[in-house]
Amino acid sequence: MNCKYGLALIALVALPATAAAQSTESGTVDVVGTVRSICILGDPTSALVDLGQLSAASGPRTGRVAVIPPQTVTLPGSFCNFAGSAVSISATALTAADATNPQAGFARAVNYTATATGWAAGASLATTGAARDGTGPTAEGTGATQPLPQVADISLTLSSFTAPGDQILVSGNYSGNVIVTLGPAIAGGEN
Amino acid sequence: MIRASALIAATLALSAPGLAMAQIAPEVGASDTDSATVGVIGNVPAQCYGGTLSGDGSLDLGVLIDLTTGRLRTDLATPGEVLVGSFCTSRSTITVNATPLEAQNFTVAPPAGFSRRVHYLASASGWTTTPASYNTATAANAAATQSRDSAFTGDITVAISDFSTDGGETLRLVGDESYRGVVTVTLTAVN
Repeated sequence: MNCKYGLALIALVALPATAAAQSTESGTVDVVGTVRSICILGDPTSALVDLGQLSAASGPRTGRVAVIPPQTVTLPGSFCNFAGSAVSISATALTAADATNPQAGFARAVNYTATATGWAAGASLATTGAARDGTGPTAEGTGATQPLPQVADISLTLSSFTAPGDQILVSGNYSGNVIVTLGPAIAGGEN
Repeated sequence: MIRASALIAATLALSAPGLAMAQIAPEVGASDTDSATVGVIGNVPAQCYGGTLSGDGSLDLGVLIDLTTGRLRTDLATPGEVLVGSFCTSRSTITVNATPLEAQNFTVAPPAGFSRRVHYLASASGWTTTPASYNTATAANAAATQSRDSAFTGDITVAISDFSTDGGETLRLVGDESYRGVVTVTLTAVN
């Protein structure tokens, strides 16, 4: 019942307005859209870092891990279009393809530090700590938060190659990897 | 006024599907997180190291003959030499070779009743369960090479024993200030 009265009132008010029609009238159409939050890492300048021979071939450190210079890979033009992003690293030590538990005095793992720079103040880094038998090879770390949308070249550097206990490395092929992740910073995730 | 609010609400509701479509539009795969993997590889060649000699590298027997008989002493002995810190980074063999003690100055054929050569058994222990051994008096030395199925590091003790006069125990040794032989220990990596 109340509805009927309401409609009648609207009609009464509207009619005079129609009678006073003007020559110009405007209307508004809203245009809306969204920009999704995305992060894109540039393709690594090298998807595979070949360190070559890991052990010293002669001298007092024969058979032990050699002096291996730092290796750098760049991920150019990486970007996040939103504020509050961070780079995370998951690094896995190089381990020998032969998973046999090594004899006393030997190791089948080479640890290293992976460092990502160029994104935010401070670096993202992870230092692997595999045991001499290759167990526990993965380490993770997250860098500082970038407070603004950012486009930058991210440099990933592998350095400080060591063997557990500086023991002699068993022969064979060794492999590991580094996973670089660019995404929203997680509160409390910085290292 | 209540009615007008209801109409506006209805209009917004109609436009909502349009918004939903706009959110789906960005390219498939882009998200607020991206990751890249960089592989790391290296190798350790099969390698052996003979270690360092504990002493001066000489097994000095002193006077070789019994001064009352002129024949080879029966109590010849000398402490062994130790190759400290030997290792192979893979399976390996150890081989011992030796040359008899020979008079270095009296080089011509000795007269009847004399000899200028002393044989002995050389052994290298510590690397394999059965020591590698080589007897200079024997043409065939099957035990001269021993195998080990794993990488190993340790000390190798080189010793000599079982002395005998070339030509028979009744022969006397020619006088010479220098009798000399050589024991060679070889570690070989086996792939």
